[in-house]
Amino acid sequence: MFSKHFRRGVVVAAMLAAFAGPASALSEDEVSVLAGTCANCHGTDGRSPGAIPAIAGQDYDILREQLLAFKAGEVEGATIMTRHATGYTDEELDALARYFSEIEP
Amino acid sequence: MTRLTRRSVLALSGAGALALMLRPATAQAGAWQRLDAARELVGDATPTDGIELELPLVSENGAAVPLSFRVERALDDADPVETVHLFAPSNPDPLIAVFHFSPLAGRADVATRVRLNESQTVIAIARTASGEVMVGEREVRVTTTGCLMVDDTYESANVFQTRLRAPGSVSTGEPGKVLSMINHPMETGLRTNSSGETLPKRIIERVEATMGGEPVLTAELNRSVSANPYLRFFVAPTQSGTLELVWTEDTGETVEASAEISVG
Amino acid sequence: MITRRNMLALGAAAFVAPLAMPNILRAQGSAGRVVIVGGGFGGATAAKYIKRRNPDIDVTLIEAQERFYTCPFSNLYLGGLREFESIGHSYEELTGEYGVNLVTALAEDVDGDAHTVTLSNGETVEYDKLILSPGIDINWGALEGYDEAAAELAPHAWKAGAQTQLLRRQLEEMEDGGLFVLSAPADPFRCPPGPYERVSLVAHYFKEHKPNSKILILDSKDAFSKQGLFTAGWQSLYGDTIEWVGLSDDGRVVRVDAEALEVETEFGMVHRANVLNVVPPQKAGFIAERAGVTNEGGWVPIKASTFESRQVADIHVIGDAAIASPMPKSGFCANTQGKVAAAAIVASLAGNEAPAASWTNTCYSLIGPDYGISVVGVYEAVDDEVVQVEGSGGVSPADADADFRLREAQYAVGWYDAIANDTWGTVPA
Repeated sequence: MFSKHFRRGVVVAAMLAAFAGPASALSEDEVSVLAGTCANCHGTDGRSPGAIPAIAGQDYDILREQLLAFKAGEVEGATIMTRHATGYTDEELDALARYFSEIEP
Repeated sequence: MTRLTRRSVLALSGAGALALMLRPATAQAGAWQRLDAARELVGDATPTDGIELELPLVSENGAAVPLSFRVERALDDADPVETVHLFAPSNPDPLIAVFHFSPLAGRADVATRVRLNESQTVIAIARTASGEVMVGEREVRVTTTGCLMVDDTYESANVFQTRLRAPGSVSTGEPGKVLSMINHPMETGLRTNSSGETLPKRIIERVEATMGGEPVLTAELNRSVSANPYLRFFVAPTQSGTLELVWTEDTGETVEASAEISVG
Repeated sequence: MITRRNMLALGAAAFVAPLAMPNILRAQGSAGRVVIVGGGFGGATAAKYIKRRNPDIDVTLIEAQERFYTCPFSNLYLGGLREFESIGHSYEELTGEYGVNLVTALAEDVDGDAHTVTLSNGETVEYDKLILSPGIDINWGALEGYDEAAAELAPHAWKAGAQTQLLRRQLEEMEDGGLFVLSAPADPFRCPPGPYERVSLVAHYFKEHKPNSKILILDSKDAFSKQGLFTAGWQSLYGDTIEWVGLSDDGRVVRVDAEALEVETEFGMVHRANVLNVVPPQKAGFIAERAGVTNEGGWVPIKASTFESRQVADIHVIGDAAIASPMPKSGFCANTQGKVAAAAIVASLAGNEAPAASWTNTCYSLIGPDYGISVVGVYEAVDDEVVQVEGSGGVSPADADADFRLREAQYAVGWYDAIANDTWGTVPA
């Protein structure tokens, strides 16, 4: 199945070939769309008003490791996060971790 | 889309007929043409409209997709429809069912529920006594809504329980609606249990409806018919009597039900 | 995806003109005008997220109710776990903080060619882009005997508000030992697990206050959302209080006699209730039909990447009204679709391509106050259709312990607080 992961890979390769310098495969716009899906439970900008943990302003490395651990099913006591994290590529999870770490809590 | 048959061209006069003949041959790249069994059934005939096939445009649950078909031509016509074949081309076993109609059924009009493996175009092919063929097609998009997450088809605890609802009385020649259902897993023979063993095929393969010993409708079912086979059809009796249904399993086991219908 | 923004970021030597010329005339200096019909999970979220991306875009939100009551968690109110006002939300954040123009009126007509919306107060509003998030309307008469008058006797309570309060009153007035009957519809309908959460929490209410009462669900389906989990939960918490009759056991209701509080099933069984809740066949909110975006089935086909109508240009349709299967019809989905539509519209108004779409859904259901279950899905657009991301999603484990169920119940409340805050800015009490 031609998922967006494959298409993105092709785009990245093309861009790397065409331009010198570091290329992020995910645009700012795309990361903000991905991040929007987190707000439903973690609050707008990850500033949770309720029982679900806030993620705004959390440490980037910790967030990234936690997301990858959820994806691998390695977090004991996880209720739904593994089922969510498996829906994203490692690169997307990394971008999300950076995105939320840069928000003022 | 109406195919040009000799009959329909002759019915047109002058300019109209000429205009139709000059119209570029409709590509009619119907799904039926891409299925061997359907092409064989159509044979040399040029298919026409005349059978309406209905399924939902989008189905949330491929295990039980409502399907109905209706042939316009009445069964007391001089050249009535005798059979209707249903195909799901993308299923492991494309032939869903075959229905045999006799004039006592009043209308070739049936509703049931079918299994669709994936999105596809479902096909209905009607054949008359003289060999005339009508084709109806319907594209269905099959998704499983993220909320369902159910793997098994529904299995009732009461296998072989039957239900039959027929009108208590009908006017002469007026088709009455009949609902029938039997609880049965319709095990396809393609499923494995949790231990990895293949569950053997076990299906209801025939439903026969008769009245006063005369055939009304016979349905030959394959494994693309949903579990707990449901059949809605019609009966147009000319005299009061008992509508009898016999369900036959592929093991040979049978079960029956009946209902009295008075005609007046 | 190559967007104008990231090509510039990469220092492309040649300046690339906007990828798409705006094809609409706008007042000079204006960033564009967006009108949104429906102030629920979809519309309110879209309004906020358009303003977040570009505050210069003129956003008008049309909503008939002054205060919006959510269907999510209305079952908690029915079960006696919440006050009605706790599921109500107002628009102060949208108007005060985000500068959305709120019009309290009913949208009655849309002219897709003229790009106008006609309101019940006589006004006409012009748009460059229109978002319809009208939810559902009941398909009156589709179920024999179930019309608007019948709903006053046998409520659907499938649009939160007076109907929900009516059903609650009926449950309160029912004598102990009575029978609550719920008729559940065939797919598609709003909130697939909704009817089953409802009977769960009514069973909870009965257990506390009317322990001899019973519940019967007559279902037009053989399979329902999180069925295994619900069935196990019902047995565990409520014994044999709840009986479910599926389609293949003659569960499909074909006729309602609201005066007698009776329903008749397909094969002729008649059930009489003390309280009757009919969840009837549904369709997209009526404005969708007026706008010409519905298909013959009564719902709205959309292009997945932007949720734009497949039938009328410049109209996006989100939430329950849209055909977004396999995404279910849920408030959570409406909210996430609103964000994607917002991003697509802001991009379009600026002459850019929409960023890649991404959605997620989590449906929490409370079987009891301390017993929560969930189903998750993550989705993407492939060939302009919504598909589930392979390997993602799933339901709560069947063998979870009581602590797991309790935490999910707590997270359910945390979810509601978060999404209400994300959509309307509501601050939890």
